[in-house]
Amino acid sequence: MVWVNKMDALLNGLFALADPYLLMLLFAATLGGVLVGALPGLNATTGVALLLPFTITMEPIPAIAILTTIYCAATFAGAITAILINTPGTSASATTCLDGYPLAQRGEAGRALGMAAVSSTIGGIISVVCLMAAAPLLARAAYNFAPPEYFALTVFGLSMLATIGDGSPVKNILSGAFGILLATVGIDLLTSVERFTFDFNELSEGIPFVPVMIGVFGISELLVQADNLNVKRKQVVMKSIRLPSMSDYRKVWKTILRSSGIGTFIGILPAEGATVASMIGYNEAKRWSKTPEEFGNGSIEGIAGSEAANNSATGGAMVPTLALGIPGSPTAAVILAGLMVHGLRPGPTMFTVQADFAYAIFWSMLLVNILFFFLGLWGAKLFARITFVPIQILWPVVFIFSIVGAYALEQSMMDVWIAVGSGILGFYMRRHGFSVVPMAIGLILGGMLETRLGQSMVMLDEKWWLMLTRPLTLFFFILTVMALFGPQVWKYIMKSRSGLQKGNN
Amino acid sequence: MRLFTNVSKVTSNQNAFRYLIPLGIILFCVLAYFLTTQFDRVPPILKRGMQPSDFPQLIIGLIVMLSIWLLFRDNHKAPKRMTRVVHLSIGLLIGFLIIADVDFFLGLGLFATILSILWGERRAWAIIFVGLFVPFGVFFFFDSVFEVRFPRGLLTNLWYG
Repeated sequence: MVWVNKMDALLNGLFALADPYLLMLLFAATLGGVLVGALPGLNATTGVALLLPFTITMEPIPAIAILTTIYCAATFAGAITAILINTPGTSASATTCLDGYPLAQRGEAGRALGMAAVSSTIGGIISVVCLMAAAPLLARAAYNFAPPEYFALTVFGLSMLATIGDGSPVKNILSGAFGILLATVGIDLLTSVERFTFDFNELSEGIPFVPVMIGVFGISELLVQADNLNVKRKQVVMKSIRLPSMSDYRKVWKTILRSSGIGTFIGILPAEGATVASMIGYNEAKRWSKTPEEFGNGSIEGIAGSEAANNSATGGAMVPTLALGIPGSPTAAVILAGLMVHGLRPGPTMFTVQADFAYAIFWSMLLVNILFFFLGLWGAKLFARITFVPIQILWPVVFIFSIVGAYALEQSMMDVWIAVGSGILGFYMRRHGFSVVPMAIGLILGGMLETRLGQSMVMLDEKWWLMLTRPLTLFFFILTVMALFGPQVWKYIMKSRSGLQKGNN
Repeated sequence: MRLFTNVSKVTSNQNAFRYLIPLGIILFCVLAYFLTTQFDRVPPILKRGMQPSDFPQLIIGLIVMLSIWLLFRDNHKAPKRMTRVVHLSIGLLIGFLIIADVDFFLGLGLFATILSILWGERRAWAIIFVGLFVPFGVFFFFDSVFEVRFPRGLLTNLWYG
């Protein structure tokens, strides 16, 4: 019976995509996503944040399908600029530059782009298949979670913020805690008492997600770009598209499969996104390669390892986002905000009450992976040209759309102030080594965290320590401690071990 | 000699930021904590596990602890000095908020025009495109397609009547 229902939901989701209007939107979004990924300074997170307000008036399926499409397509498109102009369109493609650009300089740009497109598509498809299988299972496992388990799980999700980016873990947690504090602004959901509203009616419902996302990801990037006005980009000439040969595929198929597995797994981990996945995928490709010396000088395996991993992380990241309401990556956090704005509740009910919706999103992600293969491959030359749009034109236009998007949602000037304010704050945070991603995720999860803590306190008769007597809650708390202190303890052990070895020698 | 003066200036700036940021965060937390003490308290029957001030105070405590840690253990290098263009771009953002109070699209158009020129654009068509064509296009697109009512102002009143 369960399988019949599941098949029913799978087919209903597929039929939902049969709408020509939706297919047209997905095609346009794929094109938009590839453009976003190729444009300087814009990445999947910024693109999704900027587009979020424009999807609010749509039905939930097209709205969220557009956001996930932008996510997948922009993650892939980062490879185009990485290969042709040695500038990763997104941070997830930084490792693609290492081998893509040397290949392009040798006149093999087409081969590099072809390999990027093929490995991205295979990685993306594998991860979506995993998403289709794993998300409902995870959601079913979470079905029996009580508030203490949910609270502990959310704490674990937030603790993973410590490892985001290359900044200090303490600063990341601080930034996340600040985001949670921002989430306490407005009427307390448990007691209906106003907090930090300063008599502004607009703040009584809390600080809205969308203007903050637009500010911290879009406007702060505008200020970062103001510091990079002298960067010159030079495109490698791409005479024709010569696709990878059969011997290339024979050489990389294991790498693609391995990196897809790595990427999907990294994506499933809360907060870890495509960037980490591509780094690990690349390193593992090098470690397992028979020709590791080619890495960094134009290795086709390097491109496959990096691109399969970063695209498979997109599907992986959607698993905890949809099944548990814990974002699997920064972009997934913005998509989660979109789900909440649409009144959808990510979690176990997503696969029972809203199963058609969930499967329509899965199918759309599968479709976009096929779409960007063709678009990316045959339009690469054109998309690489987009990179040369002067930032003196691009960013004023992005600003206009950002501000109008921030305003349009609630038609309130307060949202415009919030967007600009969080943009300036985000810029200063980034300058001083505080990532803005934890702040955004903290803001999204803060309300949920407080509600679940309150519910746990009621359930446990205000004895919070009883949470530690619940096995699953304790398990998540142990994972939290490991996520927070594990790297330091590991570093300390390795250091003392190498010290001992030196002493013995 | 001048070189050494500059180096010592940068180092002192680094040291200043090293301590100023955590201290600033702690000061912010003190203010926020004070505000939480002003929240209404609810009777035990209504408090649903926690008083409204409990959770913010818990988070503020965490932020203070992490800031104290940062005071002693921050290895982040001070960023390079901000260029004049960045300063002016931030000033422009604030200017936009002020002008947007007079007219939203006047603010957007002026911001886009000045930003484009400030960042080095000199071609007339490009400046007209970002300062005039895009704001107008966006206004009419949102007004007619999404039916968004923009705040009334000098220019928008011409359309709204």
